[in-house]
Amino acid sequence: MPSQLTRAGLWLLLICMLLAVPHGLSFSQQEILVFLTINVLVVTSYRLLALTGEWSLGHVVIMGVGAYASALASKELGIAVPVAMITGALTAALVAFGLSYPLFRMKGFYFLIGSFAAGEIIRLLWKRFRDPFGGPKGIKKIEPMPDFDIVIWRFDFFEPVSYYYFCLVVVGLSLWIMWRIEKSPLGLTFHAIHWQDKLAESAGINVRAYKTLAFVIASGFSGLAGALLAHYIGTINPNSFDLEQMVFVLTWTIVGGTATFFGPILGCAALVILNEIVLREFGFEQGRPLIYGFVLILSVLFLPRGLEGLLQDFTGALRGRGRQGSRQ
Amino acid sequence: MFVEFKAGGHTRRKFLKSASAMAGLGLMGAHLPGRAAADGHVIKIGFLAPLTGPVAAWGKPGLDGCRIWAEWINAAGGINIGGKMHPVEFIGYDNEYDPAKARTGATKLIREDGVKFIMMLGGDTWPGVQPVAERTGMLFSTLLPSDLGPDTTTLIAPAEVHPIYNVTGVEWLAENKPELKTAVMCAQDDALGLPSVATYLAAFEAAGISMQHDPLLFDPATTDFAPVVTRLISDNPDIVCLDTCYSDYVHPITEQLFQQGYGGQIISCTADFYDQMIDRTSAEFLEGFVFQFPDFDDPALNQPFINFNDPNKFFEVYNERHPGEWGAVSWEYASIMDLWKSAAEGAGSAEPGDVLAAMTGDGTGAHAFGTAEWWGEDLFGINNALVGNWPVVVIEGGKARIKEYKSIPEWYAKHGELLKKHMSAYGQMWDQR
Repeated sequence: MPSQLTRAGLWLLLICMLLAVPHGLSFSQQEILVFLTINVLVVTSYRLLALTGEWSLGHVVIMGVGAYASALASKELGIAVPVAMITGALTAALVAFGLSYPLFRMKGFYFLIGSFAAGEIIRLLWKRFRDPFGGPKGIKKIEPMPDFDIVIWRFDFFEPVSYYYFCLVVVGLSLWIMWRIEKSPLGLTFHAIHWQDKLAESAGINVRAYKTLAFVIASGFSGLAGALLAHYIGTINPNSFDLEQMVFVLTWTIVGGTATFFGPILGCAALVILNEIVLREFGFEQGRPLIYGFVLILSVLFLPRGLEGLLQDFTGALRGRGRQGSRQ
Repeated sequence: MFVEFKAGGHTRRKFLKSASAMAGLGLMGAHLPGRAAADGHVIKIGFLAPLTGPVAAWGKPGLDGCRIWAEWINAAGGINIGGKMHPVEFIGYDNEYDPAKARTGATKLIREDGVKFIMMLGGDTWPGVQPVAERTGMLFSTLLPSDLGPDTTTLIAPAEVHPIYNVTGVEWLAENKPELKTAVMCAQDDALGLPSVATYLAAFEAAGISMQHDPLLFDPATTDFAPVVTRLISDNPDIVCLDTCYSDYVHPITEQLFQQGYGGQIISCTADFYDQMIDRTSAEFLEGFVFQFPDFDDPALNQPFINFNDPNKFFEVYNERHPGEWGAVSWEYASIMDLWKSAAEGAGSAEPGDVLAAMTGDGTGAHAFGTAEWWGEDLFGINNALVGNWPVVVIEGGKARIKEYKSIPEWYAKHGELLKKHMSAYGQMWDQR
């Protein structure tokens, strides 16, 4: 009972902190917070796919599918933005389902390369077909999330704090669903496929179907993240979802660690804050790629389990000290 | 302030006022600007461009040039606003050519640093910034007039009317080398390459030079240009046009042209770091290479109609500090600042609206290459592009030299319909973008 109370208290504290955090930041840091929140959804959904043991290089492009679908749905079809966002997520999931047929005929390194190729094909289609995708310039003047009032409060979604709260709700809900999936028998099956796919298959598990399911769910959430991005910045183009962005997602995931749910979130938050706030603040505007790369090398060398490993060691040490204290 | 009470709606003026008040009070958290901003002496100018990454060559050299410009202005006492001298300071923000980061940068520069004017490269990054510009009324400049549209009322293109000035190079070629009759062209398939393709097509058609085949559009991720060049020169064209390729493309394409034995004329919008191209090919091979951006040690820049303070000295100082980094944009942002300074001094105010009104009020402006007119409604839907003369530059004996200044408005008066035809075909008119 006390541990449940402690846990509830910790959750409450976390929620309060997340609600309060933008008010302690500068305007540009609030903007970065919005993008960070969206990126958290991207990396967490990426980990859901990685649970099955497959690493994709097309995840950011799938995020783009959600962004394009949502932008087109609102701009061309006049669908309300929140509904368009859901349409974007569903389209991304549907495209992933279509891609799963050729992609899951491969695994491991071949899947990685196949996902890259599939992503590039999608990007080239965006560039090739100016109607409706806008070609290399992409889509501009995407409908923003409409402002609304709740009692005496006005949510103006041009402003980063309003949009952050909106993202916080959407991303929070998405993370909760992914968390529940991971902790359900479905999640355990994903883990089993990752570590012992032959054994899982011999136990009657349809490995390909489960991998497809993980891919589709992860892509749906990635597409939702793309939709959130598109309706905030108001423009998307094929370069917004290129391999460079994918490398960032991979880096956040690897540096954070994939063993736990919070690992990639930790990696994403730490590296975005380092790159976008700390290095800029310290005047390393133009030296950021170099320093960022150096930090990555150091983290891979000295933190092989990622930042989550560091955190686990730290909390483990705290628990150990607590037990020692209670024995004495 | 953001999740606000219903009654507290924002107007542009209120927004700018509150932002500057906040900056003055130092309530901007970790991004606290220098104290000088609060006492009203320093005028801050934002520089929002790619300073790292593949497009940095069109951002960073501009910031370096601006810092020299600021040193000179400050050494001379600063900017005279209403009889009071104000030093000027540039605040850079690396947008990495990403619209989301450009939005963040614009927010920081306006709401935390309290800048009075923001210079951008434009292109892919402008749509991310446009809502911020609309909301705040901040004055922005772009190097790419294709960003302009009827609703971009606070965006100006005062330095270069890319890609329209490219017509002057083709026109000069037609007049001076009339034996050249056929051309081919390649370009990266992006926001910078396509309007330039349309412009060159119009210029070639106006000059009576026929295209051997459709422009070859390559993906911006291309790194191997051997097949591109093989295809380009397969019919032995008189002219190879490199459109507005980034220097990362111009260099390898030129090298491939050299290695594959091309001996004809080359024309390009830019030839940044052409000394490196000479090192990799030869001075003989690049002899006669036509492009549009002069070195500022050129004696032709010392003529009385040039509105740029001591260009030769500027070039010398720039090269002392940043050897080997002189490029197309090294002087452009500084020349925009000349125009801005003159307008701010004329208006007696550094406020964006006042400066814009003073800058465009009489329909003309002091462009670096001579007096020019605010123009563009036909092509961009708004007269916010400053157009006049533009130099045609040719490499001679391993050195870039201005051969002639040619008038863009005069060319447009004769061949404007051709340009509109090709722009429409490539979906580049303002109402198609």
